[in-house]
Amino acid sequence: MQVRGKVAKRFDDDINTDYIIPAYLLQESWDKQFFADHAFEAYDPAFAPTCRANKESIVVARNNFGCGSSREQAVYAIKYNNVVAVVAQSFPDIFFRNCLNNGLLPIQVADTSTIGLGDELVIDLDTRKLKDLTTGQEHDIVATDASIETMKRGGFLGYVKERLRQRLNAQPPRAP
Amino acid sequence: MGGATIAEKIVSRAVGRKAKAGEVIEAVPVDKLYFNEVIGPPAVLNFQKDFEDVYTASGKKLQVFNPSRIAFMPDHTVPSCSIKVSQGISLIRDFANDQGIAMYKEGDGIEHTIASEEAFVLPGEIAVATDSHTCTQGALGALAFGIGTTEGENLLATGELYSFTVPETISFRVKGRFQRGVYAKDLVLHVLGTMGEGGASKKVAEYSGPTIDSLDMDGRFTICNLSVEMSARTAIVNPDKTTLSYVEAALARRGMAMTDDLRGMVARSDPDATYSKTVDVDAATIEPTVSLPHSPANAKPVSQVSDPISTVFIGSCANAREADLTIAAKILKGRKVSPSTNLIVIPASRRVYNWAMDQGLLKVFADAGANIESSNCGPCFGKHMGILGPGDRCLSTSNRNYKGRMGSPDAFIYLGSPAVAAATAIEGRVADPRKYLPAGEA
Ligand code: SF4
Repeated sequence: MQVRGKVAKRFDDDINTDYIIPAYLLQESWDKQFFADHAFEAYDPAFAPTCRANKESIVVARNNFGCGSSREQAVYAIKYNNVVAVVAQSFPDIFFRNCLNNGLLPIQVADTSTIGLGDELVIDLDTRKLKDLTTGQEHDIVATDASIETMKRGGFLGYVKERLRQRLNAQPPRAP
Repeated sequence: MGGATIAEKIVSRAVGRKAKAGEVIEAVPVDKLYFNEVIGPPAVLNFQKDFEDVYTASGKKLQVFNPSRIAFMPDHTVPSCSIKVSQGISLIRDFANDQGIAMYKEGDGIEHTIASEEAFVLPGEIAVATDSHTCTQGALGALAFGIGTTEGENLLATGELYSFTVPETISFRVKGRFQRGVYAKDLVLHVLGTMGEGGASKKVAEYSGPTIDSLDMDGRFTICNLSVEMSARTAIVNPDKTTLSYVEAALARRGMAMTDDLRGMVARSDPDATYSKTVDVDAATIEPTVSLPHSPANAKPVSQVSDPISTVFIGSCANAREADLTIAAKILKGRKVSPSTNLIVIPASRRVYNWAMDQGLLKVFADAGANIESSNCGPCFGKHMGILGPGDRCLSTSNRNYKGRMGSPDAFIYLGSPAVAAATAIEGRVADPRKYLPAGEA
């Protein structure tokens, strides 16, 4: 499975989810697109228009992207601005799992310093290579088999529904 | 063969076989699951929307996996600060009532404080909640960590975490007696300063050693709470007599007692457990510490800082339990808050609030000129009860001083202990608490 996109934004180390979507917005909507409209509102207001300018954008960062609060709205804020993947040198667990659950690809590579703004990237989940078409460089994707599987499935939901189905069918029907 | 860490033992117990750090487990059942009113409403809505068809097809009513293992705790912006927040609270209340799930009330306390005080989370359990500071429960010897909305909805359905990587553990061995005016908060800010914001990424931070052994539970909660600021998966302290007497008292308040089953859940790391790294900390060398804007890892001895401060916040799940309010009151007693500074005090739970009232601590704060609010996250969440404006400088006992965390991105947040906060409130600038402590006082 291949995913392509253009690098729309680059960030440094330790971008926290408060920067991605500030707390005062979290309770104001249950609609995912709402958070995309306010992505990086206080930290980098150009984020949404810049990412939306491409059909498929990719965000590149250094270490520890998505640290801090567990708010999944941070993932909606990124994804629903036409972002297909975040490429970084490391991700904290909660953000990583939130990405997996929402079909935003969290791609870990050893060194993101040579990936430039505007570069065209191809992410190949089968060969586990990230190819920078602009520089011709190739990066190894660091991931467990399980997370590659989940990325291909677009999240856990289908799997969880199947587990629930098996469990419910193993129980006698509830008395009316 | 090396022994096992407490984290490995807890996962092993949950899955019924030996689990090793680094291995990915397909499904891990959790013991406890709790929600605040920020993520609870969308998690419930998504659960209803995404799983309805499965229940219908099986001829069953929509039903969570086990109502007695779940709780809803509205705490972030309560009493409600907006119409949408009120709608969210009603939504989770209706759902909780329908499903037979415990629903706490606005003002009962901050979720991570209630979860331990109410003996909802117990030693040896796996506890998850839709908030990154769930790691606070590690002080009980539980394996506790934050999850997102989707994981929360999945857990409502099946009570299982999928594709779970058993975390490796970093051992923090802490020895040495605290200097006068130094507390658990100073220790953990110092640790964050040496590790950096990503320093413990994906690892469990396990704290041990004579300094930790001699700490009360409130101090241990503070240390575990802030460990997520170095991106730890969670933090944990091996349960000891201090832990068990805390848990016994919490159970007793609910008319329950420690049973052999509960005692059997208690796990401790083996002496020959395998750690990914060991970090030795000498607590005796630590001074009262503050973290400067805009990173919790930007730690400095308070003696090197004297910036003016317009707001002091004593509160949050990090530092607003009995021991914290006691220290702050000791310093503020008979003194006044600086005319240039606003002091906000928010006890971490209704129980702490009522206790502080009985002890006369609330009167000390009120006499000093503080604003005392009912229990909630308050300004820590940056949504109500003391939002910072551009140029404001706040000293907070909470855990995050990110740019914009408490309001304007042009405000500045400093983190410190309740002692530093009280001294700072008096002087109107970041201040060393040691001169306010009676001689011979810890
Ligand atoms: S007090 Fe602050 S850190 Fe703690 S749960 Fe509330 S918002 Fe989060």
